[in-house]
Order: sequence, then structure tokens, then C-alpha cells
Amino acid sequence: MITGFQRFTLIARIAFVAVLSIPVLAGVVGVLFPAFGYFPALGSDSFNATGFAQLFAVDGIGVMIGLSLLTGVSATLLATLGALSLLAVFYQSRYLQKIQRLFSPLLVLPHAGVAIALLFILSPSGLVARMVDVLGLTHSSGVTNIYWFFPYDNYGIAITLGLALKELPFILLIALGVLSQPQIARKVHGYYQSASALGYSPSTIFCKTVLPLLYPQIRLPLLAVLAFATANVEIPLLLGSNYPPTLSVAVVQWFNHVDLSMRFMGSAAAVVQLLVTVFALLIWFVSEQGIYRCRHLIYLSGESYIRRGILKTFAYSLCGLYGAMSLAVVYAVLLWSFATYWTFPNLLPDGITTLHWQTAWRGVAPALGNTLLLGIIVSAVALIMTVMTLESETVQIESRWLPMNNRFFVVVLFLPLLVPGVAFLYGLVWFQQRFFPQGEWGPLFVTHLVYVLPYVFISLAVAYRKLDARYIQVAYGMGKTPWQVFRAIKLPMLFNPLLVAFALGLAISFSQYLPTLLSTGGRIPTITTEAVALASGSSYRLTAVYVVLQAILPWLGFLLAWWLPKRFFNPSTQANSVIGNPVYDTKAG
Amino acid sequence: MTLSNSAQAILKYILVSLHLLMFSVIAQAEVVQFHAWGGSAQVNGYLQWVSEQLQKEYGITLHHVKLADTSDAVSRVLAEKAAGNHTNGSVDLIWVNGENFAAMKQHQLLLPNWVSSIPNFTLTNAQKNPAMVTDFGIATEGQEAPWGKASLVFYHNSRLLPTPPRNVHQLLRFSRENPGRFTYPAPTDYLGVSFLKYVLVALNKQHRALLYKPVTERAFKTVSAALWRYLDALHPTMWQQGTHMVRQASALQRLMDSEVLWLSFSFTAAEIPSAVSRFDLPRSTRTYAMDEGSLANVHFLGIPYNAAHRTSALTVVNFLLSPKAQAKKQQLAVWGDATVLDMSLLSERQKEWFNTQQTHPSALSTSTAVPLFAEPHASWTDTLRDAWFKRYGERL
Amino acid sequence: MTLKLDNLAIYNKNSAGKRPLLEVNVEIKAGEVVSIMGPSGSGKSSLLNAIAGQLREPFKQTGCIYLNTALIDDLPPYKRKIGVLYQDPLLFEHMNVGENIAFAMVQNKQIAASQRQTRIAAMLESVGLADMATRPVHSLSGGQQARVALLRTLAASPSAVLLDEPFSKLDINTRGQMRKWVFEQLLKRQLPTLMVTHDKQDAIAAGGRIIELPPC
Repeated sequence: MITGFQRFTLIARIAFVAVLSIPVLAGVVGVLFPAFGYFPALGSDSFNATGFAQLFAVDGIGVMIGLSLLTGVSATLLATLGALSLLAVFYQSRYLQKIQRLFSPLLVLPHAGVAIALLFILSPSGLVARMVDVLGLTHSSGVTNIYWFFPYDNYGIAITLGLALKELPFILLIALGVLSQPQIARKVHGYYQSASALGYSPSTIFCKTVLPLLYPQIRLPLLAVLAFATANVEIPLLLGSNYPPTLSVAVVQWFNHVDLSMRFMGSAAAVVQLLVTVFALLIWFVSEQGIYRCRHLIYLSGESYIRRGILKTFAYSLCGLYGAMSLAVVYAVLLWSFATYWTFPNLLPDGITTLHWQTAWRGVAPALGNTLLLGIIVSAVALIMTVMTLESETVQIESRWLPMNNRFFVVVLFLPLLVPGVAFLYGLVWFQQRFFPQGEWGPLFVTHLVYVLPYVFISLAVAYRKLDARYIQVAYGMGKTPWQVFRAIKLPMLFNPLLVAFALGLAISFSQYLPTLLSTGGRIPTITTEAVALASGSSYRLTAVYVVLQAILPWLGFLLAWWLPKRFFNPSTQANSVIGNPVYDTKAG
Repeated sequence: MTLSNSAQAILKYILVSLHLLMFSVIAQAEVVQFHAWGGSAQVNGYLQWVSEQLQKEYGITLHHVKLADTSDAVSRVLAEKAAGNHTNGSVDLIWVNGENFAAMKQHQLLLPNWVSSIPNFTLTNAQKNPAMVTDFGIATEGQEAPWGKASLVFYHNSRLLPTPPRNVHQLLRFSRENPGRFTYPAPTDYLGVSFLKYVLVALNKQHRALLYKPVTERAFKTVSAALWRYLDALHPTMWQQGTHMVRQASALQRLMDSEVLWLSFSFTAAEIPSAVSRFDLPRSTRTYAMDEGSLANVHFLGIPYNAAHRTSALTVVNFLLSPKAQAKKQQLAVWGDATVLDMSLLSERQKEWFNTQQTHPSALSTSTAVPLFAEPHASWTDTLRDAWFKRYGERL
Repeated sequence: MTLKLDNLAIYNKNSAGKRPLLEVNVEIKAGEVVSIMGPSGSGKSSLLNAIAGQLREPFKQTGCIYLNTALIDDLPPYKRKIGVLYQDPLLFEHMNVGENIAFAMVQNKQIAASQRQTRIAAMLESVGLADMATRPVHSLSGGQQARVALLRTLAASPSAVLLDEPFSKLDINTRGQMRKWVFEQLLKRQLPTLMVTHDKQDAIAAGGRIIELPPC
């Protein structure tokens, strides 16, 4: 027996699954057809494997595939190890909050923004090179070094660095989210207490007891990061060599090639990209198995001062690196956006001007408006769908056709993050052109929603599920209906996490490049598409302005999420609320 | 100017005004989607001015869809054709260069036979200037209207490189003596192919006639030998030892700005002083032309066959070809793109609009006459590029 | 009012064997407090969940639950009118003290809206919390919160009450007082009550029957 409200939440759950799976699956189908030679518009309506034959005849195709695999796997590995060692060293420490703050600038800056920011500080005329020159550490004093290490190296080092730097804060955030779940937090607390009584250090306790508990919980997000890293376009496009590039960049180039028959090869390459991502996941699975088999080595080994020293050094240097990077990014990007001439190796520009901001301001209004409008609508819809879907989990119902099964649901949730964008977005455009040639905002909305939904869900699910069930029972005991409980108890109690999820939705929507570009054909510019277009343009300074805008926009969202609860609730009743850390989680369910 | 000439001009003026009046009545409050490369602040700024003018004078809203690559728009039109959208296309106007034009023409993606109906097109005096109706040696057949003119100029950072190379041989010597300070875009970019053509023309003074006929295997073998010898020597001395090469011409300017490169080149001479004024190039930047000559070409505007707002698009093209819009475009401070109009067909007042150029230390000196090389026949472009890829590998 | 558990058995689907986790057969009369005692893991919480209508996977129940003569097994939790009091007061922190009670009272049709404020003030006064209606809940002491929690439960006029280790978090001094006061209130309203606890003192103070569960 369920109420109308509960029935509505079940419908929302079906819609949630549909929105996540249909575009992705349709997109994959839409790219499979041309990959196997079917593209009537180009005069080919039979199936063949010419596209694949062409692809494997391309010079350096092996290197492209290898680069995608190598950069994706090593960046994910680096970011994972980094995040875990930070947790090992700092999880029970009082600096944890501060450390989180250190990593947040790179969390909210979109991938394109991170790549551009890295160019500002690490390129041969970037901030680091200038400092090296000023300090007299180079023999080529006064002129830029032509044998500089960054970017465009042939081994994908710059790409790996960019990806790892960007993904580490995300993994850290996910892991902290998991560790804050009450049933896990309780266990972890117990481990620390009993193991420290045995004389183990916190980092050893983390590796031996917490990690086995934590890893299964962050595994799927890690796989999503891996899938993303093997197929990302912005970072290898901006930081990688083009002789040859990663496969994902090649796919985009072939799709945009003037010779339209390259589409067949491009589609075939998109299919291969999908396989490359699957292969990377397989590598990960096999390594997991290997480590799992050797787990006794970790459990049985005693306390080692050397290992602990290495771990500590690594974690502290990571903090130092991110601290320095954040400072350098702010310094370099802000100054470039106001700089007049800036001769190498000076650490300061010759003068300051607002010219670049004025230039940007004249053209930015439509892009800014689109970005905000789209972000707000998409995040609001994603938030409503997510809340309803989470609410549907409380409905007790046995049905074979409802997607209540958790494992199935989780796979669907991560589908858009696991299937590379380059593999399904082109196919989606093919479908869109076929059925909705007039649509602009519609397809744009759907592609953004596909990417925003999983993040909003992941962000909110922890808080929503850990809301003490006894509160709800208390209200049921008063005769409150599920709708009344939802409106009067859950929504107000979850106000903070709801706002944080909304702000995260905004940030994700703001950062989308490929989905925005492809679904509208560029007719609806956003800050991010403009930033990438400008990064290919001629002005460093204008690009800097757009990076600042890219960084400010998501911050505004999070700032709002922090400020609104203070504004709307009596401060005396909300004294101990912290963003993303609801006060209600101290009571175990 | 003779009396009959000015009478002719006045007559044309009246005709133009009538046409515009007609267009503006039909095309009220329409949005024209103009797909054009958006990587240059000057171009973007100019199109913003155009948009304001069109709004004021014709009630047309011009929306500049800023592309990173023109082929994005070509892909879009093709996808629409594939999906059977033959009348309600999303691209109304497109800024094309020779290559994209060839692709679009081949797939019949462009509206045919409209250019002669544009009143201001007569001001280009196409009968006397065949460059206005040939795009990389291919006849435009009324499918695209000329918009601007450009020639290949070089610019250098005079602080780091006081005396720049004045010909193709000195260029190689410079790069050998200063490794890593010069590069050119991969030939997927039009400026990259243009550099190859420039070297090809400059190294083959004795075979130049061959370049203006459709390419043959023998002709190519004859003229390319010197090019390959030259590039084989140049590449290892270039930026990134010639492995990674920039994808787009605009990236060259950024590398000049960051003082990694000391010497570079461009197809728009006016963008150099303008970039210096906006602090996007060092103050010590100087523009010059190679003594032996510069490659020159014209860029065009096309309307997709399925454009939803083609009438308004015609009005926009007519405005873009008006003396007022062309004069504005030629101003150094705005864009500095040379006009396609024939000055002799303009009135004295209109001519004055074009004479507002100020001098700028970084600008190309107007006192020295530069010999111009015409673009080789279009068939050379693909052959040249394919041969380059085969020899040096693709840059994607 | 009576609460009757007729051969109510709880099973864990995941554990092997067909043996139930626990089996209870009891009829609780109006004003009586029946205590259930057992070690942790014996299924006490599951039993309360089953009565409240909140039993979740992997647990399953068989048998019947009656309120008076009405079978309530198939009713959704919010229609069962069974109030629950936990060891934590679980006051809603986004409402003040008065609002917490009013939120429960809205459901009680016998009290007109106009009377609510005076009723709340009177209730608070009767437990020594006069003038605290507008206070934020977290400014109250643990004992005060516990009292408000019971007032809130009673304000919704439940048909039966479940107590889940209700005094275990109170300090020694207030515990005895609270016990006495809570059982008085329940008796006064003639509510059938089921209490689970592992504190023998609780069960003795309740004065009703005691059911001891065997360890699993």
C-alpha cells in the first residue's frame, strides 16, 4: 500500500534511470553505425569494416592507443595513491579540514581551466621558468629555455600530470564522503581505538584496517575517474603533443576534419576508444586482484618507520605541491588577466590594465547568461530527480520491473561516467539531427543532465541515506504521511547537503565542454566553450580572464550554499552546521 | 574621376539603397546565425560592431557563433543534410576559406548563384579582379562572396632578433643558428599550408608556371624536391624539434608573445600592430615582408543551401560588403583586414573612410611595395598536404 | 486499548536455517508496560521495527499484530498510531521546543488549532519547562530534551507506545526521576507499552511482565 507521493517517487526513479541510460546507449548505437560504414548522407548505406582498416593503417595508431592507456592509468594510479596517502596521514588529524580547503581550488576549476592554468605556471615562459631564471638556476639566462620539460612532451608526462592533479581532489572528496557515513565512521573509530592501543601509528592503522573497508566503497568512482582519464579531450588537447596525440584527441580531430569521409574512421576510432577504456578497466581489475592476493604481506608486516616516513613525506609534499600550485595559479592567472607587457623573465608585468576585462566583458554577457541559465535549470531538475529517486528507496515494494536493485542502479548511475564522451556524444548528435533537428536547448539540457545527475546523486546520497531513520519513525508514529515527513522533516534537515549538491551540479554544468559544443553545434556558447575557443586563439591575457571567470562561477555556487542556510535559519538553531557535514550524523541509526 | 564614373556610382548607390530597403522590409527581426572562427579578439569585436549596425539599420540580429575550427560548421550542415533537413538549417552564414569551400562545393552544401544579386558585390569589380571569383584557383560560381584580402607577412621580436631573415634561405640559416625559435602550423591549418606554398614558390623561381596549372605527378616531383630538402633541414631546428607543431595559426602569436618564438608570420598584417596595442605581443615586435615576395589570397562568405534565414543572410552579406563596413574592417584599430572593394568605384567621401590609417611602429611599412605571389592552383593544396603527411607524419 | 503480538516471529533471510531470530506471543493491556530483555543481537530492535511497520530487508516477519481487535500488519507505518521513544530525544532541530510539540499535535484532531498554544504551554509547565516553548532545542539539557520528547509523543495521542532503551543515555541522577515520571504518564493515559532494554532496573521499575530473550 503506497501513497500518491510514493508512487510519484517511483516514477521519478524510472525517469532517473531512463535519463542516464537512454542517451548513452543511443549515442553508442549512433556511433556504431558509421563505424561499420553505414552513413547514408555520405553515400554509404551498406555495412563494411573500411573505417577500421583505415584506422589501423594510420601512422602511429599504436602510440595513440598506448598514450591513452598510459596517461589514463598512470594518472588515475597517481591520483589514487596520492589521495589515499593523504588520508592515511591526515585522516584522524585536526588538519583534515584545512587540507581539504587546500585541494578545493583544483576541484572546482574545470579540466580545461586546469590545463590552461598549468600552461600559465609551467610552460617555458611560465611562472616557474621565470623564477628559475631570476634565481640564476639556468645557463640560458634572460631568454626562454627551448629544452623545457612542459608541455607537449612525447611521453604524455604533461597530460598525466594535468589529469592526476585534477583527479586527486575528486577522489579525496569521494573517500571523505564515504568515511563520514555513520556505520563506517563508527567502525573506523573503533579500529583506531583498538589498534592504537596495540601501538600502531594512525597511518599503519589506515592501511591495514580502514583501507580494506574504504576501497570497495570508492571503487566505482575510481573506475569512473579511470574511464574519464583514458578518454578526456581537453587536457591532452591543450597539454599533449600532437605527434601523435592521444586517441581521444584524434577522434575529435577526425570528426572535425574537412574531409568528411574521415567520419568513418573517426567513428571506428570512437569504438576503439571505448575498447581502450574497457581495457584500462581490465588492467585495473587485474591489478586489484593481484594486490588482493598479496594482502597478507600488508597485514602481516609490522610497523615500519621507513615506510611511514616515506608515506608522510609523500603526503606532506603533496600538500606543499597543491598549496604552491594554488598560490601560483591565482598569482599567474590573475596577473596575466590584468597585465600589459610582461617581458621574460620578469616576475611582474610592466603595468596593469583593465583592457582585457573590458574586451571580455563586451562579449561575455550572452555566454555568461547561457551558462547560468543552463546550470541553474539543469541543477534544479537534477536535484529534484535525485531527491525523488532517493526518497523512492524508502518505499517498500516488490516489483520485478522497477529498477530497485541496487547493483543495477549503481551501474546505470555511473554509465555516463564510464562510457567515454567521445564515444557516445557524436552518436547522440547523429540521433538528434535525425529526430530533433530544431532542438537547441532541449538536447543541450539532456546532455548536461546526463553528466550532472550522477554527481548530484553521489553528493546527496550519502547525506540523504544517513539521515537518522529514527527521526522518520518518530514522525510516522505521530501519523505523518510520507509526504509530510519529506516536506517537514527531511527537506529542512537536509537543507545544507541539498544546497551543496545543487552547487556541485552548477559546477559540473559550467565545466562541460564537449557536450555543450556538440549538442548545439556551438550555437549556445558558454563560458567554458568560449574559454577553450580562446585558448586556441591569440591572446594569453584574454584566456586568463576566462580562466578567472571559470573559477569564480562555481565558487559563487558554493558560496551561496554556505551563505543561504545562515540567512534562512535562525543562527542560534543552526550554530553547529557546516557545509556538507550535517549535524545529524552523530547519532547512529 | 570622370562625370560618367560618378554618375554610375550614384546610380549604383540608389540601386543599393532600393535593394536594402526591400531586404529590410522582408527580413524584420530575424536572427542570422553567422558561423565564423572566434579565436581573434579583433574579429569578434568587429562582428559585434556589425551586429549593432544591423540591429539598428535592418532590425536583424546577427549572432556570431564562435568556432574553434570552421569545419565544425561544415560538419553541422552535412549532418543536417544527412538528417533530411533541407530547408530549416541552423547555419545561415559561414566564413569559409579555400579548403572548406572546396569540400562544401563538392558535397553541394552551399547556396548557388546568389552572389551577383548582392548590390555591393558590383563594387568589387569582379570582371577586372578575377581573385574575387576564384578561391584557391577554383571558380566560386556565385556560391561565395569575397569579404577580405590578405597577404603573408613576417614579424619578429626586434629585442631578441634585431635583423630578421629577408628570404627563404636566410630563414633556414636563422633557424640553424637559433634552434627552437621558429615553427609553422601543421598543414591542416591554412596558414601551415600557406607557409609550404610560400617556400614552394620561393624555391622554384624557374618552374613557377607549373604551380598555376592543375597539379600533375611530374610537375609535383619537379618542384617538391627542393621543398623536401629545405624542410628536412629546417624541421630539426624548429620549436619542439619539429615534432609537436601548433594546430592553429593563432597559437603562433601566443608563442611570440611568450618570447619562445622570435620570428613568425601571419596572413593579416594589421593584426600584428593591433595585438601589440592590446599588449598581446611584445612592444619590440616589427612586421615586414620577405624581399622575394608574399603569398596573397582572398577570404569569402558562403550561405548553406538549407539556411533558414537566407534572405536576412543576403542582407548581412550586402552590409558586410558596403564601403562603410569594409572601411571599418580595414582600420588597424579594429581588424585591419584589407578591403575587397575596388577603390576606383567608390565616391570621394567613401574613399576618405579608408584613409584614416595611423602609423604604428609595429605595423608593416606602407612605403615599400611588396611583390605578391598568387595562390597556386587549388589542386596543389591537397597534393602538397598529403605528401607532407606521408613524409613527416600527421599532426592531429 | 491493548496491543497484541500473536506468534510474532522475526527471521533473518540471510542466516541459514529456518529458525526465527525471536518469537513473541503477548497481549499488553492498557496502562501496562511489558519489558523485553535480551543481549544485543537478539533482535530487539527488529521487533520494534516490525511493530512500527518499518521492518527492512533482510528481515521478515510472520504472525499477527493487533491494536485492540484490529489487525495492523498491513497498515503503512504512518497509519498505525504507534509512538516510539528512543534513547536519544530526537527533537527536530529546525523547530523550537513548542513547534516540536505542535508538529505532533496537528495530527490530533481533538485539539482545536486555537487551543494548541495554551495546551503546549500547560504541558510544558506540568513538567517544569514553563516558558521554554520558544527555546531552540539544543539549548536544553539532556533530561529536559527527554521530557519534551515524551510530551511530543503523547501530543499525537498514540494508541500504543514503544520504548527503545529509553533511559540508557541519561545520567544516574536523572534516570530514576525520568523512569518514574515516564511510567506515570503512560499509566495515566492507559497506553499499552512495550519496552526493550538491557537494564534490569528499567524492567523492575516498569512493574509489568518481563520477557527474557535467549541469546542467538
